[in-house]
Amino acid sequence: MNDTSVQPSHQVCSVRVGETLYGVPIAHVLEILGKPPTQPVPLAPGFVGGLVHYRGEVITAVSLRRLLGMEPSPAREDVLVFETPEGPFGLFVDSVGEVMQVSDADHEPNPATLESRRQALFAGAWKLKDQLLVSLEPERLEPMRLAASFAG
Amino acid sequence: MDDLTREFLLESQEGLDRMERCLTDLETRPGDTELLAEIFRSVHTIKGTTGFLGFGRLEVLSHAGENLLGLLRDGSLAVSPEIISGLLALMDSLRSILRAIEATGAEGERCSEDGEMIARLEVLQNQGSTFTQAEIPAAVAVAHSAAPRKARTPRQRSAPRNAPRPLAPRSRKVSPPPAGPEPRAAGEAGPHGGTGAVSPPLQSVRQQASLSAEEIAPVALRPTVDRTRQAPAEAPSMPSGGTADSTLRVDVELLNRMMNLVGELVLTRNQILQATSADAGFALLGRRLDMVTADLRESVMRARMQPVSHVFSRFPRLVRDLARGLDKRVQLELEGQETELDKSLLEAIRDPLTHAIRNAVDHGIESPEQRIAAGKPAEGLLRLRACHEGSHVIVEVHDDGAGMNIERIRDKAVERQLVSPARAEQMGEREILQLIFLPGFSTASAVTSVSGRGVGMDVVRTNVEKIGGKVEIDSRAGQGTVLRLRIPLTLAIIPALIVRSRGQNFAVPQSSLTELVHLSAGEADGRIERLESAALYRLRGRLLPLIFLDRLLEQPARERSRACDIAVLNADGRRFGLVVDGLADPEEIVVKPLAAVLRAIGYYAGATILGNGEMALILNPGAIAQNAGVGLTGDADENLADETRNAQQDFLLVEADGRRAALPLETVLRIERIPRSRIEWAGARPVLRFEGALLPLDDRAGQAAGDDPDAQATVVVCRDGKRQVGMSVAHVLDVAGGRQLEEAGSGAVAEGITLLQEHVTGIVSLAAIPSLDGVSGHASSEFPAEAR
Repeated sequence: MNDTSVQPSHQVCSVRVGETLYGVPIAHVLEILGKPPTQPVPLAPGFVGGLVHYRGEVITAVSLRRLLGMEPSPAREDVLVFETPEGPFGLFVDSVGEVMQVSDADHEPNPATLESRRQALFAGAWKLKDQLLVSLEPERLEPMRLAASFAG
Repeated sequence: MDDLTREFLLESQEGLDRMERCLTDLETRPGDTELLAEIFRSVHTIKGTTGFLGFGRLEVLSHAGENLLGLLRDGSLAVSPEIISGLLALMDSLRSILRAIEATGAEGERCSEDGEMIARLEVLQNQGSTFTQAEIPAAVAVAHSAAPRKARTPRQRSAPRNAPRPLAPRSRKVSPPPAGPEPRAAGEAGPHGGTGAVSPPLQSVRQQASLSAEEIAPVALRPTVDRTRQAPAEAPSMPSGGTADSTLRVDVELLNRMMNLVGELVLTRNQILQATSADAGFALLGRRLDMVTADLRESVMRARMQPVSHVFSRFPRLVRDLARGLDKRVQLELEGQETELDKSLLEAIRDPLTHAIRNAVDHGIESPEQRIAAGKPAEGLLRLRACHEGSHVIVEVHDDGAGMNIERIRDKAVERQLVSPARAEQMGEREILQLIFLPGFSTASAVTSVSGRGVGMDVVRTNVEKIGGKVEIDSRAGQGTVLRLRIPLTLAIIPALIVRSRGQNFAVPQSSLTELVHLSAGEADGRIERLESAALYRLRGRLLPLIFLDRLLEQPARERSRACDIAVLNADGRRFGLVVDGLADPEEIVVKPLAAVLRAIGYYAGATILGNGEMALILNPGAIAQNAGVGLTGDADENLADETRNAQQDFLLVEADGRRAALPLETVLRIERIPRSRIEWAGARPVLRFEGALLPLDDRAGQAAGDDPDAQATVVVCRDGKRQVGMSVAHVLDVAGGRQLEEAGSGAVAEGITLLQEHVTGIVSLAAIPSLDGVSGHASSEFPAEAR
């Protein structure tokens, strides 16, 4: 990631949850579903936002809000779809914004002062002109992995 | 493991399966040279392929078998039971080595066993010459005309197929005529095999494969080469070769994917049908889409089907071995082998069926002495039959043995405390038979090596119910036993009832649903009783444990005294009522798998998308019952009680004319909702045109409805003897069991009334509805039916 000489910059899709702006490498995003209908799953682990219909499959979507311990969103949320070897999964975010070009030169690792749960979820941040863009890596958000580390 | 080895394993296993079938057939038809030729080919192919793959153990063993089979084929040795046993044992050895290769990639070293096997086969070879000279040359003569021809067709197919197939999925450039070396194909194989080293064996496979064809049937070599060109032209004139040319192997994954897409199409269709139901033009298109989708779904489902012979084929061997081990004589008859079933379901019934057959041979069929003493032929008959019945496949295991000993089952069940002695006394034969499905029940007085170890029919039932099937048993003392498995055709699309709980949809598979009970807001509190923390409902006098879906799923609490529905479920023999907020229509749903994190919750069998586009979680009634601790035995008892309310009859409870009335349920054909304007008058008698015929009507609800032309009527169509009659009612209330009422003192059974839900209710006399005989003349012409 920090090897600026080889790949100085790449495209990230910016998403917003609460006040914070997050960036997800666009190459990892299979599809963006705009405010799809969702189905809650009673008794599911806390980080599961619900089920979403994606191309004939019913996929499990993780809620970033729930992961971060935030209040549920009052409005319908957008869903990013990621691919894993076990099949696709979704990520609920408040809204999906524009695609940005970010440079690895602007990337910083997680600060040591960051709370431990967020330490595990975030992959550092890019320093934008006026704010920070928190880096999210889809593999850290896979439901199975979350189930192992958070257990609800 | 490289592709080549994997392919080899697959082919060899198929070859051995075929061989096993043929061997057991051979025992009944020892003179059948075609069978011998086929067995010889199977062994020969294995031997041929193993040599250069470096599986020495397999090669030596199959060589020994080939020698023996060669003698049999040539007619210089006659088939005997010992030889068959020897060859079957050889197959087991080959199989175990194949398994070892599959697991470890190597054959393993157990040369002493191999040595014994080879020695056994050699002894068999030398002992020979028991046949009559006259018989064999005749058989050989047949062989010369028949065997090469038969030999040619399958070999033509398998020889070229064997070789290039490992490559086929990835490199499509492999040209079909396989005789010459093909460096390009070999080169392409390199990357997949890991190194280029794969290519030499690959060519060897080809050569070897075509070589073996040459050895068996020299005449056939040339056709092998230009087979592909000839095949289409040959197909019509050669029915025996036709099947192979018109079939091809398809990856199960691909079929699963297709099934998914079809499921998706079904959903889209449902949505389109719902969205366009108002528009007449669209409705037509929608119906067409509906038909095409149904056809497509059917076709794809058919593609996943396999004939039950895949499972049946192993039973001749099993029965033979069992019978020999038990000193019994059993003839196995297979029927309906071509009946097809979804591949995954076929796998699922393999074990239950095996168990049932073991049972039949072990416990069902008697020893030859006993049979003769009972006046039956010494040889027992075991019939395995498969057939279609609607959307189910029925598989029957039928033996003509001693039948079940009802008294012994009764005693055993009481002894094991599965039923109370008093209850056992009241039970009829059919009920008693059902007891064998209870866990922990086994009647084997002596534990044999075959069965009778306490795990028995309950496992069969559990396994069959797991796939949405049912098991029934029927037995007659002295005549035999029939075990009937009823298996759904497919798993991927299931009929389900959609229930609602806290505004969310859930699907309950219809297969576990037995009935529905509606409780109105007023009733909900009173009718649901509590014993400590357990909620119960009195269903026809018996207590039904209740599980509240919202509480189970920790959904927000419900307000008290709301109307609710109880879905009475029976899952794996556990019976309980699932309390939900409301019911929606039943639907055919496509089962979508859930992610592992959600599967782990345990209550969900999957998810689905409904016709209205909403999603629903599919509940797993078995898991719910188990988790909530719904017991098995007591419920089975309850089931039985349900089945045998001898003095009881089920009634459709209706309200008409402000009163409750009961219609015997077995007379009810259907319930129709029609506009009142459709009720016509023949003279003074109300009639309804129904399916092209006139239905005499008892229009009880008519008086109350008045003359509103838009009013709707609910008509219950009933069978009364040979005729059909209708009764218009205000509401259909429930289905309930009614008890006979006896007159105080005399004890005479009261006619025309019954006790339904604690109310004395009049039974509608269908015979009292006047027939149309007398009015037909007026109604048709002179007095045209007058709309009311």
